[in-house]
Amino acid sequence: MAARKLQIALYWGAGCGGCDVAVLDTNEFILDIAAVADIRLWPIAVDGKYKDVEAMEDGELDLTVFNGAVRNSENEHIAKLLRQKSKLVVAFGSCAHMGGIPGLANFVTREEIFTAAYLHNPSIEPGNTTIPHPETAFDGSQLTIPRFYKRVYKLNDVIDVDYYVPGCPPAADQVKAVFEAVIAGELPAKGSVVGASERAVCDDCPRVKNEKKVKHFYRPWQIMADPDVCLLEQGILCAGPATRSGCGVRCPSSGIPCRGCYGPLPNVVDQGAKFLSAVVSIIDSKDPKEIEEIIDGLPDFAGYAYRFGLPSSLLQRSVRT
Amino acid sequence: MEEPRIGVYVCNCGTNIAKVVDCDAVAEFAAKLPGVVVARSYKYMCSNPGQEMIVQDIEEQSLERVVVAACSPRMHEQTFRRALETAGLNPYLFEMANIREQCSWVHDDGAIATEKAQALVHAAVNRVARHEPLERMSVDMCPNTLVIGGGIAGMTAALELADAGKRVYLVEKQDHLGGNIARVDLTAPYLDSARDILTYLVTRVLEHDNIEVMTESRVERLDGFVGNFKATLGSLANAADGNAAVDVGSVIVCTGYKEFDAARITHYGYGKLPNVITSFELERMLRQGRIETKEGRPPQFVAIVHCVGSRSEEYHSYCSRVCCMTALKYAHEVKSALPKSYVSDVYVDMHAFGKGCEDFYRQSSEVKTLFLMYGRGEHPVIRKADPGDECGMLIEVNELLSGETVEIPADLVILMVGMEPREDVDDVAHLVSISTDKDGWFIESHPKLDPVATTTDGIFIAGACQAPKDIPDTVAQARAAAARILARIARGKLVVDAVYAEVDEDRCSGCRVCNELCPYVAIEYDETKRRSHIISALCKACGACVAACPSGAIKARHFTDEQIFAEIEGVLE
Repeated sequence: MAARKLQIALYWGAGCGGCDVAVLDTNEFILDIAAVADIRLWPIAVDGKYKDVEAMEDGELDLTVFNGAVRNSENEHIAKLLRQKSKLVVAFGSCAHMGGIPGLANFVTREEIFTAAYLHNPSIEPGNTTIPHPETAFDGSQLTIPRFYKRVYKLNDVIDVDYYVPGCPPAADQVKAVFEAVIAGELPAKGSVVGASERAVCDDCPRVKNEKKVKHFYRPWQIMADPDVCLLEQGILCAGPATRSGCGVRCPSSGIPCRGCYGPLPNVVDQGAKFLSAVVSIIDSKDPKEIEEIIDGLPDFAGYAYRFGLPSSLLQRSVRT
Repeated sequence: MEEPRIGVYVCNCGTNIAKVVDCDAVAEFAAKLPGVVVARSYKYMCSNPGQEMIVQDIEEQSLERVVVAACSPRMHEQTFRRALETAGLNPYLFEMANIREQCSWVHDDGAIATEKAQALVHAAVNRVARHEPLERMSVDMCPNTLVIGGGIAGMTAALELADAGKRVYLVEKQDHLGGNIARVDLTAPYLDSARDILTYLVTRVLEHDNIEVMTESRVERLDGFVGNFKATLGSLANAADGNAAVDVGSVIVCTGYKEFDAARITHYGYGKLPNVITSFELERMLRQGRIETKEGRPPQFVAIVHCVGSRSEEYHSYCSRVCCMTALKYAHEVKSALPKSYVSDVYVDMHAFGKGCEDFYRQSSEVKTLFLMYGRGEHPVIRKADPGDECGMLIEVNELLSGETVEIPADLVILMVGMEPREDVDDVAHLVSISTDKDGWFIESHPKLDPVATTTDGIFIAGACQAPKDIPDTVAQARAAAARILARIARGKLVVDAVYAEVDEDRCSGCRVCNELCPYVAIEYDETKRRSHIISALCKACGACVAACPSGAIKARHFTDEQIFAEIEGVLE
């Protein structure tokens, strides 16, 4: 029987392109993929038009790897289109998985974003009053651009997602593992987070862990951290305990605290809330005033704790948005 | 998930709930919820017919879960759990919705209260569907008891236990037994001798075969849990003596009180005017049989000032309870020792609530004590008399009953200093894992239903360390604590609640965030496995580690995330 090549699409929503680079980071393995798969759409590397996708039969694609969050109507439209055409959809990377860095925009309103980006940005022409509108009359015709939503969504807020590959970006060997599994047809239960451990980053972290009592929190540049001891107990906000492993402990191993990109542990509902509970639990003081001072050493904690997952948290967004 | 068969019972609590909440409407609402096969409204669910209704429904309708919407679970959760057990159902397959304290007692608007009651019932039904049957644990009960403090409470409790044939370790900080009662002459209101009471108790305690008295000692550590504590005792007199470890099943804390430092109130002149003394200084004179001024003369005018440090916004807001009757006792003792003296009693309110106390107050009025009332929040001012005056000092009082400012003479002023917690209460509280209230007194498990137990199982409190109290109340508490312990020893085994936290080792990453958090020291870290572990018999299910665990690896049985989120969704739906 003639082996039918896998039909694959890779697409980006609201993201930075890093996830696409992570696929390329598999180096020569990309050739193995190309050998067994037709890449029908991959804006960063392969030519392909929306109309080509629209022309496909439903379910014609075997796999869509979607990175990036859903920020605007174009993101949602293509996500729905690819879903229709694809047997499997993988939410790839933190943005598609949990909302990611773009999701932090849910702390502010659309109007605040436009004001910052188009009116009060130091790099724009002074006095500019133009902000994007979905429809603009120009030279007798109507120009349209995607509608910028009030908030950011994660991929499974708009379509059904089969698998999740966490990470900002996912580690190259995990990327490879995902493709290998699809190629071999060895798929886990629908809804699984693929390529991640069932335990926290600490389980794989080589640093020595002791009982934790913190009198002062530091940003990484403020102290010379002991290279062999748990960063959190040195007062550096490391989200390792609240984050599932699978990343290879790349950050803490190189002296950088975990930021939480692999997302919450399997039975945790809200990663940021869990991280907050853990952080305040290790504060070594019973004096309310001192506790307040210690907490003042945690600037923008909400932004820190929900760096990669605000749209997937219980909060989801600021009530103003 | 297949919904288990749920029965919902809406209690009217007579009219307590039904007068505001439409109980029938709540039952009708409940009947439509998923899994609910029977929903009833009834006058008194906690009554025998109410409980029998549940038992009968479990048997006839094959109920697998039960919700009672009634009062607080503090009140009747155990009652209904027992009903489930009677019907052969695991008692943890039960949930209460509090529609009395949280609805009918706090709302006037029936429609809103009914809607809220329905939301609470919805939450309880959602939650109970996710309950799991839990088994309670049984542990051995060590029959020995550690008593901390050798005052009247400690000695009384020790004797009660020792007379029942049980071993007692009695630890006292000072070099002698007796505590504050050893500093007192006569006792109010019957004027019997404290020394007689004390001598009797001390002799019996010291001679008792079952009591090991350790004076000049302290408890260094207390490890273990109810029924199985290990206490490390150290000598204060000689550190070279080393520590001794004893096994005990229970602990009674009887650390008493200290008196308020009168020098903190400057306008009474204590410490500056030599003849302003505290009640305890007068007791010393009384025990020596000589009431005199610093100059060695018997005082002609004696003034007693009440509420020194008590019932004041500046110092202690509470009443010290014994000072009023002690003040009357002084009036009697001064009058009988110095019949020609004039005694004035400067008070705020006369608290004479104890048995025999009101009679004692009346007798005191008859022996010509001059009573002067001053306002709460005010202070009489004591100053040195002028050279021509026939007395040593003058006290200015805004007398409330006459409405006039009067000045009374005094040669000796007695300040009725109140009681306050000892300076080391926090250390003691930490040592035995109990709590103190805003004033520093140890907190009982429940002021009315469980007054000598604490929230730490196996740790009891008795006497003035719990709150100011007189000797009869102290003795009653000491014997009550001993009785509670004896009842447990008689049973031999202890049943430990099935609700505790546990670590899922497959989820624990060994981050050690939880290790320092447990107020009951129930968390251990296994260096080899690199996992944390909870000793279930020590755990009180407070949830501190559950909330803190960033990996969601610690689960509180009966308070799982799944159950709590289901409850929240039930309220919000």
